[in-house]
Amino acid sequence: MGLLSMLDKFENFVGVNFWTMIFAWINLLILYLFLKKLLFKPLKNMIDSRQKEIDDMYSEAESSRKGAEALKSEYEEKISRAGEESEQILRTALRRAQLKEEEILREANEKASRTLERAEEQIAQEKKRAVNDIKNEVSSLAIDIAAAVIGRDVSESEHEELINEFIENIGEEK
Amino acid sequence: MDLQVNGPKVFFELPFDLPDSAIFTMKNLITQTTVSIAAVTVILIALALIVSRKITKRPGKLQVVAEKLVSMLYGLVEDTMGKHNLKFAPYIGTIFLSSIIGTLIGTTQLFRSTTADLSVTAAWAIVTTGMVWYNNIKNFGFGTWLKGFTEPIVVMTPMNIVSEIANPVSMAFRHFGNVAGGSVLTALIYGALSAASSLLFSWLPGALSQIPFLAAGIPAFLSIYFDLFSGFVQALVFSLLTMIYVGGACPPPEELPVKKNEKQ
Repeated sequence: MGLLSMLDKFENFVGVNFWTMIFAWINLLILYLFLKKLLFKPLKNMIDSRQKEIDDMYSEAESSRKGAEALKSEYEEKISRAGEESEQILRTALRRAQLKEEEILREANEKASRTLERAEEQIAQEKKRAVNDIKNEVSSLAIDIAAAVIGRDVSESEHEELINEFIENIGEEK
Repeated sequence: MDLQVNGPKVFFELPFDLPDSAIFTMKNLITQTTVSIAAVTVILIALALIVSRKITKRPGKLQVVAEKLVSMLYGLVEDTMGKHNLKFAPYIGTIFLSSIIGTLIGTTQLFRSTTADLSVTAAWAIVTTGMVWYNNIKNFGFGTWLKGFTEPIVVMTPMNIVSEIANPVSMAFRHFGNVAGGSVLTALIYGALSAASSLLFSWLPGALSQIPFLAAGIPAFLSIYFDLFSGFVQALVFSLLTMIYVGGACPPPEELPVKKNEKQ
């Protein structure tokens, strides 16, 4: 201030100086542009971005907590359902085993009865054959015996008659 | 005792024939206030540079304080002017900082308070009024703005015009008067205490009797009220009035006239 203060003059206490006003406006403009670009905008952006980050973090945590809760209830339901399921599986398995058992039994019975039938059939056949065999043998035997008894040959037709008579008699006696 | 209450000292006078009256002068190019304004600008830019040098997501102490102040500023602007007017926050912050630093710079005794000069507060008030008029015309149209002066009835027109002019005048004089008055009061008290102590201690030998012992502590406490508190309050009042006036000219988008909305 020293160099310029050789003027020993004061302005009025209440008054407006044109140049001071111009200077105030220029400085206000400079300060406005400077502080806006350097101070207010960067700090506000930083505050906002930090706030946004915090908000995002909270909403993310909230959503993941909700997801975990949903998963938990789902699992609980699954576990409770698993008990029921296992019981049902056991029940169906048991029923199936019973069915199988019955089937096996039935099959075995059928088989046995079929075998029995066949055996009976066979027996019957055998019996028939045996009867036939015996018949033949008896007839020839009878002829021999008859020949021996009678002492003479009997004609064929007489033979036949005799034999048949004889056999019939045997059959009746039986 | 000789106590003088002066305006700012004139450092450089233009050598031309320019208007130079008691109320309005164009002759004094550089005054004490000019130097103070430059000092305020330098101080604020330096502060801004220090704060903005390292803005990180994890703030240091300085950044925490600065962020707190900035979010308070944006909160105040949002409360007073609405969310749609947040673009004015940097200007409000600038006017607030200019005002409070401009007042406090006077307490250094190296500079004169910028706000103790009517030229400065008048310049700021004119900017506020300019913003109000500009936004009124922009938002409502020139005709509607002019028509607004005739409401509620035509007879009120002169009153409305006077009150429109009275706004910046009262803003300028309120701020100037508070700060200048405070400095005058401080000077008066300082002088009175010096006089009292020279009376009380006149029996002391030689130069000792000339030391104003009483003036050592008391003015400092008064200065806390007249400079710190009053400076803060006046900066707040000026910013608030600017916010209210400009906010009134910038209603929320949904309250704007239909004509304006159709254009968008």
